[in-house]
Amino acid sequence: MSTRVVGQSVPKKDAASKVRGSRKFPQDFNMEDQLHAKVVWSEYPHARVVKIDISEAEALPGVVKVITAEDVPVNEYGIIIPDQPVLVGEGDKVRWLGDRIAIVVAESEDTARKAGRLVQVEYEPLPVVSDPREAMKPGAPLVHDERGDTNVFRHIKIRKGDWAKGLAEADVVVESYYVTPYVEHVYMQPDAGIGYIDDHGRVTVISAAQWAGHDIPQIAQMLDLPQDQVRIIVPAVGGAFGGREDMHVQHLLALCAYLLRRPVKMVFDGSEVMTRTGKRHPYYVKYRTGATSDGKLTGVEVEIIAESGAHASTSVPVLEAGTSFAAGPYVVPNAKVDAYAVYTNNAVTMAMRGFGTTQSAFIYEMQMSKLADALDMDPVELRMKNLFQDGSIGLTGHEMPEGVGIKEALRQAALAGGWKEEDGRWIRPDLGPPSVAHKRRGLAVACGLKNVGYSFGSDDKATVGVQLALDHSGDIERVTVLTAACDVGMGAQTALAQMAAEALGVGYNQVRVSLVDTAKAPDSGSCSASRLVWIAGNALVRACQEALQKRDQILMAETGETFVAAEHEFRGLSVRETTPYDAETGMCVPHFSYGYTSQIALVEVDTETGETEVLKFWAVQDVGKAVNPEMVRGQAAGGVHMGVGYALTEEYIQQEGVAKTRHLSDYYIPTVMDMPQEFTSVTVEVPDPTGPFGAKGVGEMTTLPTAPAIISAIHDAVGVWIDEFPATAERVWRAMQDK
Amino acid sequence: MPTLSMIVNGKEVSVEAGAGDLLADVLRDELGLIGTKVSCGEGECGACTVLVDGLSVTSCIYPALKAQGREVTTIEGLPQDGQLHPIQQAFVDVTAPQCGYCIPGMIMSAKALLDENPRPTREKIKEGISGNLCRCTGYYQIVEAIELAAERMAEKGGAR
Amino acid sequence: MWDEYLFPQSVDEALEMLKAHVGNARIMAGGTDLTLQSQRRQVPAKVVVDIARISGLDHVEERDGLIYIGAHVTHAQVAASPLIRSRAGVLAEACGSVGGPQIRNVGTLVGNVVNALPAADGAMALFAMDAEAEVAEGTGRRWTPIASLYAGVGRCTVDSCEAMITQLRVPALRDGEAGAFERLAKRKALILPILNTAVVVGGDGSKIERARIAIGPVATTPFVATEAAAALVGRAPDGAAVAEAAKLASEAAEPRYSLLRGSAEYRKSMVEVLVRRALTRAVARASGEEDENANS
Repeated sequence: MSTRVVGQSVPKKDAASKVRGSRKFPQDFNMEDQLHAKVVWSEYPHARVVKIDISEAEALPGVVKVITAEDVPVNEYGIIIPDQPVLVGEGDKVRWLGDRIAIVVAESEDTARKAGRLVQVEYEPLPVVSDPREAMKPGAPLVHDERGDTNVFRHIKIRKGDWAKGLAEADVVVESYYVTPYVEHVYMQPDAGIGYIDDHGRVTVISAAQWAGHDIPQIAQMLDLPQDQVRIIVPAVGGAFGGREDMHVQHLLALCAYLLRRPVKMVFDGSEVMTRTGKRHPYYVKYRTGATSDGKLTGVEVEIIAESGAHASTSVPVLEAGTSFAAGPYVVPNAKVDAYAVYTNNAVTMAMRGFGTTQSAFIYEMQMSKLADALDMDPVELRMKNLFQDGSIGLTGHEMPEGVGIKEALRQAALAGGWKEEDGRWIRPDLGPPSVAHKRRGLAVACGLKNVGYSFGSDDKATVGVQLALDHSGDIERVTVLTAACDVGMGAQTALAQMAAEALGVGYNQVRVSLVDTAKAPDSGSCSASRLVWIAGNALVRACQEALQKRDQILMAETGETFVAAEHEFRGLSVRETTPYDAETGMCVPHFSYGYTSQIALVEVDTETGETEVLKFWAVQDVGKAVNPEMVRGQAAGGVHMGVGYALTEEYIQQEGVAKTRHLSDYYIPTVMDMPQEFTSVTVEVPDPTGPFGAKGVGEMTTLPTAPAIISAIHDAVGVWIDEFPATAERVWRAMQDK
Repeated sequence: MPTLSMIVNGKEVSVEAGAGDLLADVLRDELGLIGTKVSCGEGECGACTVLVDGLSVTSCIYPALKAQGREVTTIEGLPQDGQLHPIQQAFVDVTAPQCGYCIPGMIMSAKALLDENPRPTREKIKEGISGNLCRCTGYYQIVEAIELAAERMAEKGGAR
Repeated sequence: MWDEYLFPQSVDEALEMLKAHVGNARIMAGGTDLTLQSQRRQVPAKVVVDIARISGLDHVEERDGLIYIGAHVTHAQVAASPLIRSRAGVLAEACGSVGGPQIRNVGTLVGNVVNALPAADGAMALFAMDAEAEVAEGTGRRWTPIASLYAGVGRCTVDSCEAMITQLRVPALRDGEAGAFERLAKRKALILPILNTAVVVGGDGSKIERARIAIGPVATTPFVATEAAAALVGRAPDGAAVAEAAKLASEAAEPRYSLLRGSAEYRKSMVEVLVRRALTRAVARASGEEDENANS
């Protein structure tokens, strides 16, 4: 499909204000008469709160109020199940260090902080459970004893075909035990915002968010208010990566405004973001893969224990998503999968780029790399033999919908990375000599796929509105796209503006996108699941079509109206029905739509120190249709950045529920010097017939193959498998010593 | 409270600053220059980078009173007559900003670099922003933006 | 955080201010460490004595074969100084690896010494070059060897509430003498090292006459591997001598387990690797083979 605006790397709508520094992030707002709030956090990972004494804190000059559990109308919330206290009161438990005891509101941030230190809390420490495998055992300390007598709160089973036979009859079986690490999102903008009562008496919050429309009911419930009395404005979001799906400040600010009837500002400092906000789930995985001697997969047996930390958050959908991809983009006729979501007293785990599928990509791709090695088969060739095509049957027994671009993505990645294809055989390139004698080079490939949109029967939908300002001859002068979709940096607002321009036949510069204000713009659902371009785009295109029809009617009727508005709610289920897991077999139609990716890493390992450097990296992503090619390249590079960190340098360390990684200076995301020296992004377009202009989604999948590509390349270089990562220098060194 | 007098973006300013105030907070809260962003709060990410007498510093750990009598340049000081500075324009043209939070700091580091070295190699550009973290972009488009800015500024006859 | 922020105009005035506040005032140079420590309430002083306006502390100059570096001189200035690059290259190399550009623009070498961490990069080179510091206190000024300043992790024998260091001096490298700096860290910038080492070797070309090896963090203060260095003296500057010295350095170093830095075993093994690499480069430079500031 040839397009005029879609497909162009137009300047982003927010770029100019961001390079000027004039675009206001939540902490950049100040209101007259504002107060400042700081949280008093739990001091124990697991304890009963015996007594809270706020008298000294309240007495400090400048303190206006110290809010405790008693002040909260309904003291529970949660993104899916309300298993989290807003504030923990006397007699209740703190379950991790991110639980809150009180909020101090004062005339200055300094005073609020000082007063926070004067809040006296008496705790009765309880036994800490800090390993989900221990937490599953009978007799383990219970994190949520009010929810039952086990720390396991979800068990997913997949039983497909005859898994025992599939493995027994395999010519080769690869068996591994993997541990994926706790990692932190590290969005650069600290959680912050202002709560106040607006001119209509609504409890209003200015903050970052990923789904303002979903924060509203949680806040309304907490304050026992009707939802239309709560309002959220999202002026700009300084990165999210899943880390803002759960509320970190919105409810606290709403509570402060509700109680104080004055603007209250709160800004997290760096250590609060690092130690008191959610992280990515570690997976503890047993994985057996069986294949024939000519490389056809015969079966998998997988056990995944996903650590959920102290509260459920989105652990259930995360694990459901991750489990649905436990065998990756490969045809696996027989499978046994058991996946468990388990509470511990460690940091709450939540959505993080990939939503459970990033960890899955690591395990299924490392298995494939090991299988290729065991069969002495080229890793591209092995994958090609097993990859999905249109109509392939997936792990949960469903047909993969049209537009499966994974083979094309792998083909292009391999060719870019130097492989040659000859009569179906794939031949890897010669790597040349290392840069110095004590280094070794390695090359590896990995694939991944990610669902676009929500899953398992969830009624994923987006409402988008469009307004046209017409001139007197009925031509469109200006367009406003109305959406409360949060643009967390990837460019969703720009992509929507481009799609509107395309659908309406106007110039990109004639289109603006509304501010994210739940009082003024429709709920387009979350910024997550790589869904906005696909689902909000679909809604937008239809709204545009309706607007054009209305415009035409105006012209025909010659009413002289110069304003047209239309709104459309698009439901993912209208495109494809998805169904939940069968409780016994796990069979289901999990997702509407998919994006596909393949990546290649060329690394050099220092055999004396174990250090790994990524020399070259290729990222290929099938996005159906690149609405803005440079934005897609930015998503590829950003996803790879997170994958490089995941593979080599990032670990959030806790001991018995206590964070040892306390500041950003303790947590090592790649600097510019740590990124692959040469990076090539290739965008493939195998259209999704159900996507707007054929577009799929891209935001998450670019981070899926990165870690397994790098860690497989380390094996290619020095012959060691790193099953528990990050593959720090010491881990690689140790593996080489043990060989 | 002591008076802090500085030349900020070419203008003389005088504000009250406490002994323990940090330059980032004075710029943002007293002078309303919110373009300078605070992220890690420990001088480890570069988001708060401003220039003091032309040198890049992390303003979140730079005591405000240390800037007494000095020239301070923030992101707001870059445009001229409302027009984006070539570095800013290059960032826009190359689709470098994603969430944008690291961007003012990146641009200020780029300015410090190009002021000292108008024709930097790619390696020198990377060194120049090695004290600036970004989580969104993977840095490639940022490096390309700085290369483009250097090229354009050289064509126009030197840095501003 | 602080109650007063003072700008003395002279060293004497600074010392008077310290005395007047009786332990509640503290010298600040760049402040990159002190600001954070004050925020985290790790340092109790409430009065800052900022030495930035004292004249005569920003010199980098050579006199009688010694290079003098004033208290204001930043890591960036050390790394860029043509004098230091040509006559004390290992110091430039070390200072250039600290933090990122912004930290190097503000943090001073003297401040780094006073902060007294056992892994401080600049200090490692100062140890390898047998530096001295000039201490200014109530009774006057005195020169003292760098090692005497280190009492333990984060503890300098010069109490910044009572005295200050006004300058450092190192013997400029002579002909046939060269140094090298190596660093192992979890990423390439903005990070403290797992291990670092600075070495200086010198001789007449056919045999090594002088050697110093400084390593950190393998003890509570920068560690000088005297036995390993002594093993080089009198030897031909070849791979075998280097290997032996590196091995001895590794045997002598006793790093402890660190949650963030790594196990004792790994770090002990890496001492051998880093010292060997540093000595190899230093030997090559001393014989004129390698460009002074090339990286390994």
